[in-house]
Formats: sequence, C-alpha cells, structure tokens
Amino acid sequence: MTMITDYRKATRRNELVLGGAVGLVVVLAVVAVTLLITMGGEPEPPPEGAPDARELTADTCAAGLRQPAWVPEGVMRAQVACPEDISRRVGDSTSPDRLGTWIVYDLHGPANEETVPGAAPGSWPQAEVESGAIHPATTITYVAYPGSEKLSSELGGGTVEVAWMDFPEGGGDARVTRVENNGYGPVRVEWTDDGGSYLLLTVLGRTPDGRSGVGVEDLLRMAGSLAG
Amino acid sequence: MVSSRTWLQLGGGVILAALVTAAFLQGRAAEDTWTANDPVGDCGTGALGGEIGRDSGGEVLAAQNVLSATHALEPATSSWDADSEAAVRAFQAWTGLPPDGCVNTNTWVTMRALVVPVCAPEYRCQGPDQLLHWGPARESRDAWFLDADCDWASWVLPGIAQSPVASRTPYEFSREPLTELRCEG
Repeated sequence: MTMITDYRKATRRNELVLGGAVGLVVVLAVVAVTLLITMGGEPEPPPEGAPDARELTADTCAAGLRQPAWVPEGVMRAQVACPEDISRRVGDSTSPDRLGTWIVYDLHGPANEETVPGAAPGSWPQAEVESGAIHPATTITYVAYPGSEKLSSELGGGTVEVAWMDFPEGGGDARVTRVENNGYGPVRVEWTDDGGSYLLLTVLGRTPDGRSGVGVEDLLRMAGSLAG
Repeated sequence: MVSSRTWLQLGGGVILAALVTAAFLQGRAAEDTWTANDPVGDCGTGALGGEIGRDSGGEVLAAQNVLSATHALEPATSSWDADSEAAVRAFQAWTGLPPDGCVNTNTWVTMRALVVPVCAPEYRCQGPDQLLHWGPARESRDAWFLDADCDWASWVLPGIAQSPVASRTPYEFSREPLTELRCEG
C-alpha cells in the first residue's frame, strides 16, 4: 500500500503553528510594554521598612505638597517655610503667588552640626578657621515651585560642572550642578515634572570631622522618590 | 562680479548677527554678575603696588550678606574688616577652597550656588527674589538678594545692616561705591 502525503495539509498546519506563535509573541510583547508603561508611571514607593519622609512635614502647610518620600538616613527633622512665611520674611513686599515652598532637612552627625561661635569672627582661632572647623550646619534644602515648568538659570564658571543625570530608581532625570572645589562645594539638583519644578541643595563641606552633606546619588534618589 | 545687492544682503546679515550677539550677551550679564565681580578682601597687591581686592562698596556688601547667613557675620557695613576676613576664610575652608581671605572668582561662584530663587523660575517677583537660607532648621539665617535686569542687588535684613547700609534697601553689586539699585527690578 502506498502512503500518499497531502502536502497542502502539512503546509496549512505549519502555517497555523507559525501564526499562533507569532500571535502569542505579539500578545506577550503588548502585555510587557503595557506593564512597563504602567509601572514606570507610578511613583517609586519608599524602600520597605524605611519610614515615608513625608511624615516629617505631616502637620505643616506642606502636608499635601509633592515632596521626597525618601530621605537619607542622616535626616533628623525638617522645617517648612510656605509662601506666606517667605512673603512675611521680606515684609510682605512679595506676593505669595508663584513663591516656592521650602523644606529644610537637618542632617545628623558632627560634620553637619553648626560650630559657628557666638564671638566675633575676628577672634576665632586661625587654625580652626583654616581647617574648616568653624562651619554652619549642613542641611538639605528642597524647594518646590508648583505649576512651574522651568528650571532656574544655569550657573556658569570655571569650577562649575553641569550634567544631566538619571534618578537611580529610574523614572526621570535632573540637572546636577556641582561647584568643584577640590572634591567639596555646593551641589544643586534641579528637575521638573507634570506638577512643577523642584530644587535640592546641599554642601559637601570640608570639616575636621569628615565630609558634611550628602552625595549626589542620595540627592538624585530623593528627587526620584517625589510623591504627594 | 559681486552685485551691490549681495553686498547689502551681506551687510544686513552681519548687522543682524551683531544685534543677536549683543542681545545674548546682555541677557547673560545679570546672571554672570556674580562671577564678573571684582576681587574683594585680602587679594595681594598688583604690579604697581596697589591692593587688588576691594575693601568697600557694593561687592563687599554682597560678600558680607552671604557670610551673614553662612557664618553669622554681623554687622554688614560694606567695609571689609577683620571679622569679614575671618568669616570668608572659614567659608572657603568649609567649601573646599584655599582659605586665603580673597573673595575671587571661585569664591564668588561658590557663594552664588547657594542662592535660590524664591519665585518660580519663569516669573519675576517684586522686590527681593533670591534667598540664601542656611543653618540649622531651628536657628536658620537668611540673606536676601534681588536679581534685576541691570545688576544684582543685596537686600540686608534689619539687625545685620549697619550705617551706611540701610536695611531692606537694594544695593547694587556694581563696582562704584555703595549705590542703591536704579534699574527696573
């Protein structure tokens, strides 16, 4: 008996298998892309176990403000200045409209504590002055300008380094401005999103107790944790 | 042969480019004011034996205003003195600069980076619109400035200002002796 193979049937079966596989791949790709987009749009939750930094401003006028949900471990407390406070400080000559809201985070540790004596600077011991032993408290200043779409003017100068850097957890990037003074100096991180524009500022200070302030990575992580 | 029309087009193009360049440079002038400041303080002597660093005027007041926030310097008089010099040396040491007592370009830039706009960047506030807010949360200190079209100005708080400096008055950074801001703010 002779076996006759129907090549038309075999070809059709192959086409069906191939078509199904391609369809499956397409469906999987669509699902993956959709998941990625959905997850990317959500604010990064604070790391498990870490308190939500927004609790630091819970009872203030900044309670509903978009602000970092994550702050470095060294942060002890925060002080808030809202537009009305800022306006009052300059004698109400500036309308609170369009003013930013400030959150100043205090940092723990001897290098970050204020050591400026009460006596006049002329009487400060020269050795202490020149070693960096006399310094203000180092803080992290966060300023939010709700509704704003722009960053402040870019700083220029021979020792100024400006670069756009990604948030460590993804979800955006920021303009990082460093005044490079032998590994120390001010650091500014500025960025925008749909809710406004924002700024973080600290100083990498030289003190006998070590370096004050926090690194760029921590500032970028704060920036990437914005929520509210 | 080049026609007169071509020459006219070329001339017009050059004039247009010059105008655009001038507008750009003028636009940058205000934000560059800090780095374009003269040296202040103990900056040594020049070739002819004269002191390089300024010892009075608007630039001195600007540096004193910064130091009032960072190192509790007071009063701000617009005259450089031993207190100002010790405070700037401490500022320089803390920020990684050589503590030489001379407020030169690198020190000016470092000071500038600490100043933050109080108003959203695309809007112009009336009055002082730039703030250096420093110190611990409970005992912070402020230094105010005004970023005007023609120049920056220092705006010194009561308790810090001392004659001839009046508090809550904008003084230009300009090189001339202490001068109130005269351009539109």
